[in-house]
Amino acid sequence: MSNDHARWEDFAGAYVLGAMAPGEREAYEVHLEACPECREEVDELRPAALALPMASPPMLAPPALKDRIMAEVEREAALLAQAGPAADRPEAARPREKRSWLSGWRLAPVAAALLIAGVLAGSLLGGGSTQTYEFDRAGAELEVDGDRATIVAENLPAPPEGRVYEVWLMPKGGDTPQPTDVLFVPRSDGSAVAAIPGSIDDVEQVLITDEPMGGSDTPTGDQLMGAELS
Amino acid sequence: MGLDLRSLADEDVMQYVRRGDARAFEVVYERHSSAAFSLAYRMMGSRSGAEDVTQDAFLSLWRSGARYDRTRGSVRTWVLGIVHHRAIDALRRATVHDKRRAGDEGIEERFEARERTDVEAARREEAGAVRGALSSLPADQSQVIELAYFGGFTHTEIADMLDAPVGTVKGRMRLGLKKMRGALGEGQVAV
Repeated sequence: MSNDHARWEDFAGAYVLGAMAPGEREAYEVHLEACPECREEVDELRPAALALPMASPPMLAPPALKDRIMAEVEREAALLAQAGPAADRPEAARPREKRSWLSGWRLAPVAAALLIAGVLAGSLLGGGSTQTYEFDRAGAELEVDGDRATIVAENLPAPPEGRVYEVWLMPKGGDTPQPTDVLFVPRSDGSAVAAIPGSIDDVEQVLITDEPMGGSDTPTGDQLMGAELS
Repeated sequence: MGLDLRSLADEDVMQYVRRGDARAFEVVYERHSSAAFSLAYRMMGSRSGAEDVTQDAFLSLWRSGARYDRTRGSVRTWVLGIVHHRAIDALRRATVHDKRRAGDEGIEERFEARERTDVEAARREEAGAVRGALSSLPADQSQVIELAYFGGFTHTEIADMLDAPVGTVKGRMRLGLKKMRGALGEGQVAV
């Protein structure tokens, strides 16, 4: 561990300020688990970082912004209410189904072939550094710019009542999908744009399932679509 | 049903948000949207960028309310943490990272938060304390802290920008935050 500590000992400030590159941050968090010394320094510095937002010049959020946000929230709350009391408790909304999740996880060869075609088309059309990967569902693609990715889709069905779509990332060589905090419901015209937080450098697949409001830590719903990154 | 959500503490309102109560969400929004928007504006440097980030962050909060854990901090800290992450993501996604810099100084349109309640007044005082603590730092320390926290730059990007060794930049961050922490004093600023 001491070698590890020597590598990370001066990172606490960068960490609490959010100034580490995504892959680096995760590696540091693994180190933190094992290093009380670094944890102590992070705990010491964090209150200063948490106070920083208060140094921003005070602004009022524009009223039209509230209207937009509340319209979406009310629409989703209505969907949830329609689903009835069972949906009131997201955690218990559905028993953890032991469906063979991983068997549906790997994309079929045909879908993989389509994805490769999509990548080629994307790289020809994209011109710049943007690459496009198609999902195994018409009208949905993953736009990748450097190590950042955004899901852009149209003609998506609404999720089942009381549920939302959740984005999952399968790490390279991994077999357990990792949850993200990206939860979304398509707009009424079926379109959706969702940015994936963090780097996708070490991601092999991006998958989307329907989950109870609030999301799940392991997939419980049906897979809406997936895309394989190569 | 006559429950007045506005009389509840944030942490208790979150119980209702978690169950999909739009009115409860509205209470959380009203309490924290100005702080969220202020941070987003400071980071994005434009009104439209700040609106996108604020909207993104609050919808994420609405949909993932179940992940709020009161043992890990206040609702405000949680909200601002989501805004900060989303803004960093948006900034790092933007190919021209300093496109927004021009907007930083001359804010073209400002909706100054008015002092409305005792809570707002107290926050104003805290904000003054934080700005004071930040400005009391040596310039090379406050600079790296601001570039990192508000600019969304990584420590290696900052080192490149300043033509300084990465170790020096990380050192300034630690030292600056330590001094700020000392200047703020424990418990004076609720986070």
